[in-house]
Amino acid sequence: MTKRTKSLNLSRRQFVLASGGAAAALASPAFIRDLKAADEFKIAAFIALTGPASLFGPTQKACAELAVEQINAAGGINGREVKLIIADGGVAPGEAAKTAVRLMLRDKVDFFAGSHDSAVRQALVATFKGKTPYVYTPIYEGGECAPNTYVVADTPAQQIGTAIPWLYKKHGLKDCYLVGNDYVWPRVLNEHTKKAVAAAGGSIVGEEYVPLGAPNKFEEIVTRIKAKNPSFVMVTVIGAYNVVFNQTFASFGLDENITRLSALLEENTLLGIGKDNAKGLYGCMSYFESVASPDSEAFKKAYLAKMGDKAPQLSLIGTDIYAGINFAAEVTKKAGSTDAAAVAKAAVDLPFKSAVGTWVMRSNRHVDKTMYMGDASSGKLEVVETFKDVASGETCK
Amino acid sequence: MDPLIVAQTLNFAYAVISLLLVVLGLAVTLGWLGVMNLAHGEFVMLGAYVAVVTERMGWPFWAAIPLTILFCIVLGIVVERLLIRPLYSRPFDLLLATWGLSILIRKIVEAAFGGGYISLTVPVKGSLDILGASYPTYRILIMAFTVALLAMLLAWYFRSSAAARVKAMVGNPMLAQAVGIDTNALARNTFVVGTCLAGLAGVIIAPVTSVNPFLGLDYVINAFFVIIVGGLGSVLGLFAGSGIIGGLDSFVSAILDRTSAFFLVLLIAIFFLWLRPRGLFARN
Repeated sequence: MTKRTKSLNLSRRQFVLASGGAAAALASPAFIRDLKAADEFKIAAFIALTGPASLFGPTQKACAELAVEQINAAGGINGREVKLIIADGGVAPGEAAKTAVRLMLRDKVDFFAGSHDSAVRQALVATFKGKTPYVYTPIYEGGECAPNTYVVADTPAQQIGTAIPWLYKKHGLKDCYLVGNDYVWPRVLNEHTKKAVAAAGGSIVGEEYVPLGAPNKFEEIVTRIKAKNPSFVMVTVIGAYNVVFNQTFASFGLDENITRLSALLEENTLLGIGKDNAKGLYGCMSYFESVASPDSEAFKKAYLAKMGDKAPQLSLIGTDIYAGINFAAEVTKKAGSTDAAAVAKAAVDLPFKSAVGTWVMRSNRHVDKTMYMGDASSGKLEVVETFKDVASGETCK
Repeated sequence: MDPLIVAQTLNFAYAVISLLLVVLGLAVTLGWLGVMNLAHGEFVMLGAYVAVVTERMGWPFWAAIPLTILFCIVLGIVVERLLIRPLYSRPFDLLLATWGLSILIRKIVEAAFGGGYISLTVPVKGSLDILGASYPTYRILIMAFTVALLAMLLAWYFRSSAAARVKAMVGNPMLAQAVGIDTNALARNTFVVGTCLAGLAGVIIAPVTSVNPFLGLDYVINAFFVIIVGGLGSVLGLFAGSGIIGGLDSFVSAILDRTSAFFLVLLIAIFFLWLRPRGLFARN
């Protein structure tokens, strides 16, 4: 029965294409695109092709492609082959919004996935207006409750709520100094940090922010920290600032007695910081390359098989979009379509594949996850503690 | 003396001197020769990557210095002949051309080394005790090196006949040629000295910064402010600019915070562009 239906479908497709092909020879390219679009399931992934996060572009692209290849190898989504469209999420929010409009209207994308900063996320959410489902994947400050928007990203409750109590207990920490880049994510993280530090019996002895986009040097800040002599520094600077801050911190000898937790400490950043400057430095996220589990080994094997010797360094920024695309596939399969109400219903308690194991989307459109405590002192992020099924702490209805 | 004040004073000196080191090459190419080389930051970045290659080959850090000078001489000669010389009389086109060069260099480095951050081992670890404050030894070395380099260059500038010839050429190219000075060769050599100084700066600061293809862009921002404040076309202007920008940045960072410091630097730049666009010591 199925075989007959399948061959019927094929021959009808062939007929349509044959007659359409003749007409298409004379028609505009858009006409051909519409024909193919009828069969493909289009997922558009916004990743960092340009801009300050562009060093993650190669691994994000590889992870997105790997997810799509695996989905297609397992039969696609509801019989449709998945086509991946890569868009640049590293541009200004206005530019990303324009690209989103084009993808929605001209390319008729079925599902959006994004691994980029919050400013771009807000622009995209305002563009989609809930019409097309969108999954946001990297680490962020929480609070995204827009309709038809799903979040796979690590939240402050998951990072701070696990790491601070553990570090305070393990190292007997007391006072805390906060250093971050001046934008929403570090500021929200620091609010969570203040609560967690107070709960652990500590106090805040300093709070500083450095501008994003400015050529920042950290000698003066590090000297101030040295004078205050805290036992713990919460580091929420990102990218190259994270590298330079930690280098300067260690060169002034502060790494001897002060523990550091960096909010976005992934493998690339640690490579820049270097083993010499990483004593007492920790990171807490939902993915590290060193996580050892059957699922993470299988993922790594598939990734290396696809990318070969020159495989881009694996990192949370990259594996996040793998999980996001898998979510998109699973929820569409279960819902039977990308209708917003059907997807919303299907998404509740929906399991899907991530690079470290199975994650489950909850009714608050966020994921409760296993978090990993990474110790960077060996020059590689080694998992020293695992926190299972940490609630996202988000209250979306 | 309060170790905090000693340390912040040393930070002040380090901020001014390290900025000077990076714009030294620009003092030569722009201040002296009048060539707006927007790829200056990329030559600094290339120097940093020479240090990376040196470490990867297992050679001592100091070997990177002669290697960078060699590399920058070759690259400088090629760039001067192909890009700079045809456009000496067309400054705006030269600006665009060197910006294009900077993009090209960034992309080549990214293709060769990847876009990620590379860490270098600091060649001299540990701290020195200065008036009760403990300060990283390598940063002291950077300051000492730069001051020594500066002294050498100034001595050469005021004493040597080659410097006199360059001054002649820059002051009145026609007359210089008439007197028998090979202006083409002199311009080329001066440009190459500028790129070598940039590469040298890159090597020296590489261990204390994050080495990545976008390293140069940070320095172009600062260099731009230094030129606005110090003045276009003069060596003294570049020194004054470094002192004001680097010093203000460090002083306000120490007293208040980095956001205020950057804000003030921008404010000063806007003020100068508005009221005194030629800067403090512009060439007349």
